[in-house]
Amino acid sequence: MNSIINHIRRKLSIKVSLWVVLFAGIIFNVALGFLFYQAREAVHKEAINRATQTLDNTSLRVESILNRVEVATNMTKWLVQRHPDVADSMFVYSRSMLQNNPDFYNCSIAFEPYYFKDKGRYFSAYTKHIGDSIRTIQGGSDYYQYFFADWYLMPQLLEKPCWTEPYMDLDVATNTSEMVTSYCQTIKDNTGQMIGVINTSLSINWLSHTISAVKPYPNSYSIMIGRGGTYFVHPDTTKITRQTIFTQTIEQPDTALTALGYAMQRGEEGMKKMLVDGKHCYVFYKPLGKTGCSMAIVCPESDIFGGFDRLRYNVRAIVICGLLLMLFFFIQIITRELKPLRRLAKEAETIASGQFDAQLPELKRIDEIGQLSHSFADMQNSLVRHIEELKDTTAEKASIERDLRIASGIQMAMIPKVYPPYPERDDIDIYGQLVSAKEVGGDLFDFFIRDEKLFFCIGDVSGKGVPAALVMAVTRALFRSIAAHEAMPNHIVTELNEALADTNESNMFVTFFAGVLDMPTGRMRYCNAGHDVPMLVGSGVGLLPCDPNIPIGVMNGWKFSLQEATIDPQTTIFLYTDGLTEAENAEHAQFQEKRILDVIRKTQNTPKQLIEIMTNAVHQFVGEAEQSDDLTMLALQYKHQKPNIRYQRSITLPNDVQTIPKLAEFTDTVCEAAEFDMGTSMKMNLAIEEAVVNVMNYAYPKGTKGTVSIDATISDEGLKFIISDNGKPFDPTAKAEVDTSLSAEERGIGGLGIHLIRQIMDSINYEYVDGRNVLTLLKRLPVSS
Amino acid sequence: MKRRLMTALMLCCSFAILAQSKQTKDETIVFTPQWTAQAQFAGYYVAEQRGFYREAGLDVKIEHPSVTQPAMSRLRKNMCQATTLMLCQALEIVNEGFPLVNILQTSMNNSLVIVSAHGKDPLTQKGARVGIWSVGFGQMAMCMNNKEHLNYQWVPFAQNVNLFVSGALDATLAMSYNEYYQLVQAGVKMTDKNVYRFCDHGYNVQEDGVYMTRDYYAKHQEQARRFAQASRKGWEWAAQHPEETLDIVMQYVEKNHIATNRVMQRLMLKEVLRLQVDRESKKREFRLRPDMVRQASRLMAENQMLSREVTYEELVSEK
Repeated sequence: MNSIINHIRRKLSIKVSLWVVLFAGIIFNVALGFLFYQAREAVHKEAINRATQTLDNTSLRVESILNRVEVATNMTKWLVQRHPDVADSMFVYSRSMLQNNPDFYNCSIAFEPYYFKDKGRYFSAYTKHIGDSIRTIQGGSDYYQYFFADWYLMPQLLEKPCWTEPYMDLDVATNTSEMVTSYCQTIKDNTGQMIGVINTSLSINWLSHTISAVKPYPNSYSIMIGRGGTYFVHPDTTKITRQTIFTQTIEQPDTALTALGYAMQRGEEGMKKMLVDGKHCYVFYKPLGKTGCSMAIVCPESDIFGGFDRLRYNVRAIVICGLLLMLFFFIQIITRELKPLRRLAKEAETIASGQFDAQLPELKRIDEIGQLSHSFADMQNSLVRHIEELKDTTAEKASIERDLRIASGIQMAMIPKVYPPYPERDDIDIYGQLVSAKEVGGDLFDFFIRDEKLFFCIGDVSGKGVPAALVMAVTRALFRSIAAHEAMPNHIVTELNEALADTNESNMFVTFFAGVLDMPTGRMRYCNAGHDVPMLVGSGVGLLPCDPNIPIGVMNGWKFSLQEATIDPQTTIFLYTDGLTEAENAEHAQFQEKRILDVIRKTQNTPKQLIEIMTNAVHQFVGEAEQSDDLTMLALQYKHQKPNIRYQRSITLPNDVQTIPKLAEFTDTVCEAAEFDMGTSMKMNLAIEEAVVNVMNYAYPKGTKGTVSIDATISDEGLKFIISDNGKPFDPTAKAEVDTSLSAEERGIGGLGIHLIRQIMDSINYEYVDGRNVLTLLKRLPVSS
Repeated sequence: MKRRLMTALMLCCSFAILAQSKQTKDETIVFTPQWTAQAQFAGYYVAEQRGFYREAGLDVKIEHPSVTQPAMSRLRKNMCQATTLMLCQALEIVNEGFPLVNILQTSMNNSLVIVSAHGKDPLTQKGARVGIWSVGFGQMAMCMNNKEHLNYQWVPFAQNVNLFVSGALDATLAMSYNEYYQLVQAGVKMTDKNVYRFCDHGYNVQEDGVYMTRDYYAKHQEQARRFAQASRKGWEWAAQHPEETLDIVMQYVEKNHIATNRVMQRLMLKEVLRLQVDRESKKREFRLRPDMVRQASRLMAENQMLSREVTYEELVSEK
């Protein structure tokens, strides 16, 4: 069974055909059902009409003869009552009754006992047909006391003329009997006293024949019962007079038959549907005149509906055959129509297996299957084309990815990645880390030391990816190039802003923090352009106070403010981008400053350790969530320690170049103390002179007097000259390196001098402190042999 | 010696039996039941059919009465030697001066009932027209009518139930084994209300018994005894084999062209057999009960149906 169902489920042709046949079957069934119902009703109606008509006809025939009996009896009675005293006349009346009505069975005019004194107890003028002749005798004897006969008693008791229940009339003389029914009525004298009864009988045979002959259907039959339910007509002759309609219900109760019996007894007319001898039958019944008898026609349902049922079975058989044929042809047709689909399906499988150039069947059909085939062919072509395009795109994408990887490499190369960056220095420890969310990122940080100043910056370009990376690269390059000659962070930022804002067509901006830490003094100048405020981690943890500046690249001409702070030794400046504070976990909660502070508070470590711990804390917080932004951190630990000064000397000179010899002497003395060789001493002398002359010539306005102080110290660090003046602020280090390729005229004033100083000295540092220009020149001590 | 004696004895016995059977064969007993062939007389049909009479060395001929020759008339005319009679009839006949002997009493109970139409209680229908057999059988009903002052208007009828069924009568008398079932068969509904059973109201007087004229009996006592015994055997067999008995009854019914059917006869047989069981002893006693004879006789005498009380002794053989 399951295999059949599975087979049907797999075959569209069978499924569709079954549905069609099912619906057709339902429609046929409903239509035929309605038709059959109507037809059956019509047949039913016709049957009722036919049976009723037959019953009516029979009843009429019976009644006509009954009427004749009644009329004849009435007339004879009239005669008898007119001459009640002449006994012999009764024979004449009785005889003439039968003479005039040869179809009557007998007639008796019977009188009360001793009515005719000379006739004795019994007198009944009794006439009867004997063959073709008529015999009239005097009836009544001790053996036949007619007074007790039904026909004699009934009209008296009922006090009206009546028909008796059929009874067996025994002719003693001939010892013959006949089943008869009698019409009888009382005879009265002038005083109204009953004197006798006149009785005319009809043979039941005639009635039986008439009724038995009623046969509206081949297998129908008629019955007749009397008042007591006795059968007088029945196809089963053994039942006649011996059984009543109720007999069989005594032992086998049959409510339908009982009900029919009662209805017929009551003289009702009607129709009942019931089981008779195990067959469904319609029984039509009607009383027979005034006899008290009732006749019924029993019509088997199979007779009434026989023709109709045959028609119905034939039509049904035709419909079923038709539906089966329909099913067969539908399956064939649909299978044929769907054949190309199967081929298409096979080809589709071939294509699905990767063989895109499979040959599709060529269909010339224009129906849906044809369209499907064409669409399929189009799809196949498109597929081939798309696959080609996909190949190209994939190759392209691979190339882009390769480029991105290179770009990422380049970007990473821009970021300092050698730690510690200044292993020779013990006054600073730096560690930085940049983790991009994509291949390339928009975060940046950078640092370098120039003239004993640590330039550092951190920034975050708006957006991500390649555009941000490009802006980042530009920003970083600009920072480097500007910071090369500019030591004031606000200037650096301002210049950066101008440079970026000018060409910022894509409206990108950079939050940026730039700081310049003066290594010898710990003074830090900084400028924050909308970036996250750095933290200072020293004996305590705090935020570096920052002015609210706008990010760079937003607006041309913005004046960025400069701020200053003194960084105590052992203090770490911790810078980061919003990738840290805004790192999100799966629940979209952010890491936030509070957690950064918590992490920092728990640790007192080197920058590298700090960043590693912070990184771990972020990873732990973020969990499995995807990194949404570049994460950049930079920690700078300032570790400057005051040098151990073992030699110190100073000199203050007026701004007069005439005092230079004093300076030379001072310098020589100090160099000597520092045990420099002659050559070096001379060079150093040259450098100091250059620097001091520079102050003398330009620090003060012409004509005004000023001083210049030179302090020399020798420590482990080396020989340090600090040249200070309170002239106008001037940072010689901020001048660009001398382009020695230019001619002397083309070079700017002082440029060469600083260049010289740089060449001779190991480091140069400028600070403007408390209204004084402070230029520090350091020369490391010669390595003692 | 002993052997010869035995042979002689056996021969003597054989002669004796042969002689007796020859004698009885000459003396045929004609038995006339008082009504047409029906289960009321099943025991006798059985005795005849099963050969009980023959075994008893009797030549019994069952001849039913006819219109011109009713049972009693046949007995009077010696056309038959035995007939069945109701006890009340027998009392009337004896009272008339025609001595009878009850050789076998089959009925131990009264079967008379009044069936009233329209579900009415017969006792409430004063002056009602009540059907009664024109040939008798209604003695107890008449006694009851007088006692209860019902003033029934008796309508004697010759045929069975047609008058009642056609509505010409208010009530009719019926035998619980015969007309009662004919009425049922005619669609009359029987309830406790419209059926009055005399046996339940102090009129439980025995009915059918087999009677012979006293003259005949005096001369054929032995035959009468054997006839009674064989008849009793027939009834006892019938009680034990009701369906086979019914088959036999139906043979008689068919032979006599009686307008009845097996259903009716089955019901009749069952009822007749029931009436044969004495209410007190719960047995088929086959005896006339002196108390019942006395009761019937007294009632009939009181109601002027008898000129004197006929005694039990007048009916039985041992006078």
